[in-house]
Amino acid sequence: MPILRGVLGSYTALFLVFLYAPFIVMGIISFQSGPEGGPQFPIIEWSTYWYEHVLGFAPPSRVAPLPIGEALLRSLTLAFATMLVSTVLGTLTASAFRRRFRGSGVVFYLVVLGMMVPGVLLGLGMALVAREVGIQPTWWGTAFLLHVVYTYPFAFLVMLAIFNRFDPAVEEAAWALGVPPGRTFRKITFPMIFPGVLSAMLFAFTLSYDEFPRTLFTGGSDVTMPIAIYGTFAVEIHPNLFAFGVLTTLFSFALLSVYGILMAASVRKARRVTGVQEDIA
Amino acid sequence: MGPSVAETGSVTTPREKFWKRNHHLLLLAPGIVWMVLFLVVPLAMMVYVSFWTQTTFAISSDLTLASWQAFFASDTYVGALLRTLRIWLTVLVVTFVIGYPTALFIGQFVRNKTTQTILLVACVIPFWTSFLIRVLAWRPMLGREGAVNIVLENLGLISEPIDALLFTELSVVIGMTQIYVVFMVGPIAFMLARIDGSLIEAARDLGASSWTIFRKIIFPLSLPGVVVGAIFVSVMVLGEFATASALSGRKVNLLGNIIVTQVGSLKWAFAAVIGVVLTAVMAVVITALLRVVDLRREI
Repeated sequence: MPILRGVLGSYTALFLVFLYAPFIVMGIISFQSGPEGGPQFPIIEWSTYWYEHVLGFAPPSRVAPLPIGEALLRSLTLAFATMLVSTVLGTLTASAFRRRFRGSGVVFYLVVLGMMVPGVLLGLGMALVAREVGIQPTWWGTAFLLHVVYTYPFAFLVMLAIFNRFDPAVEEAAWALGVPPGRTFRKITFPMIFPGVLSAMLFAFTLSYDEFPRTLFTGGSDVTMPIAIYGTFAVEIHPNLFAFGVLTTLFSFALLSVYGILMAASVRKARRVTGVQEDIA
Repeated sequence: MGPSVAETGSVTTPREKFWKRNHHLLLLAPGIVWMVLFLVVPLAMMVYVSFWTQTTFAISSDLTLASWQAFFASDTYVGALLRTLRIWLTVLVVTFVIGYPTALFIGQFVRNKTTQTILLVACVIPFWTSFLIRVLAWRPMLGREGAVNIVLENLGLISEPIDALLFTELSVVIGMTQIYVVFMVGPIAFMLARIDGSLIEAARDLGASSWTIFRKIIFPLSLPGVVVGAIFVSVMVLGEFATASALSGRKVNLLGNIIVTQVGSLKWAFAAVIGVVLTAVMAVVITALLRVVDLRREI
């Protein structure tokens, strides 16, 4: 067994190298010299040119700047709206699943279908519907509807898992003591499901922010960030994409850290709530 | 749910009773309406449009089988269908073969919860980079002067750079494997970590060899994870077009790529036919996988 353990351990290390290799190469090439250096080895000269290019500080060159201002703002707005709507929908649906009801299987698979259908198919379907109905596809309209179709199942599954581990006796005790339902929800239910709500929000935000197959046909003429990046596939790629990749990864880490802090705080709070119960008992 | 205040205490009117019994419908309504309008209707529309009449410059709603006949008569389309199936199967098998040992290590050999979490998080971190940029990052990896060739040459394993690494079907498979393998590792590791250790101890006490334990206990218990992973990977690979277009230099066309091209040239009916074919393939694959494992029971 110890030999097997060693073999598997080294294998896992190799596996992680495989996962990270493109990531590291991306980081290295983002420091390629500009504006003539391309997205390949060798590094002609180390520079931060492509970072300046991304942020708009570099002098104009033949490489088109990434539409950081507008496209990024659109992506963030879309992700934020998607996050709110899909988390609310997911929480509502999952709380309905707290009791048994007829047809729950159909509803379950109807919702889960939203994450199963490939994006390009939904995008095509929505584009056809928009064409037939006669509405212009927009990133805040048709694309937003599909983003929610995609992220709502994730929120639903997360909340379902949370409610499965939820003890209804606590709520019932509050009602029995005459606490009104609204107050019970605010003071008892919500703090207990809050970690799940946070995870659902994080899922929805990151999925929507990076989503492009559903947006490709339904986003209209104003591009979101992923569509802008996809646009570069057709032309030559430059290291500015990699510099942007590094920057957004750092941003994601910041977001993740905020999530981690909120999560830790809410776990502590939930523990305090249950701690109070134990005192009473 | 246990008895609530209303049922045990105060008097309830029939209206309140109806409300009590059916208030879950109100909770369900927004989600169901959303999914029917924006998921079921678009998919149905796709099926409907696949029977429309497509001419070079226009499309009309006269129903015809012409687009379907055109699909199955064309070597390009049928070829793309076969290629999509081939690449999907390859990626599925490769992600399983590459991913399982890692999942086995994380789920069974790392007993410390914190280390387990750290390893899993380490697998997920690359996902915080945009998908499309991760795909593009394979270009400097695999090119003639790419990182892989440089490393292999410096190690003395090859004397000439390998050309076949980029802009081939191989590069598409490599790219997809790296991007999707984590969706295989995660569910499997999760199932493996849930296995009760005393089960394995008991088997060992009864004299079972490590191989027998793996074959008779560990692998069967990890099977739901494998199925969930396979569903994830299948769903994502079957609908893919970006990796193929970025890493094959548009030489490897999957069904997804053809949909994008057809939509680009406003051939809606052809795009819809390909969409329906792809949906059918997906439905068969997912249904077959769900026969092995009941997804709802595993949550």
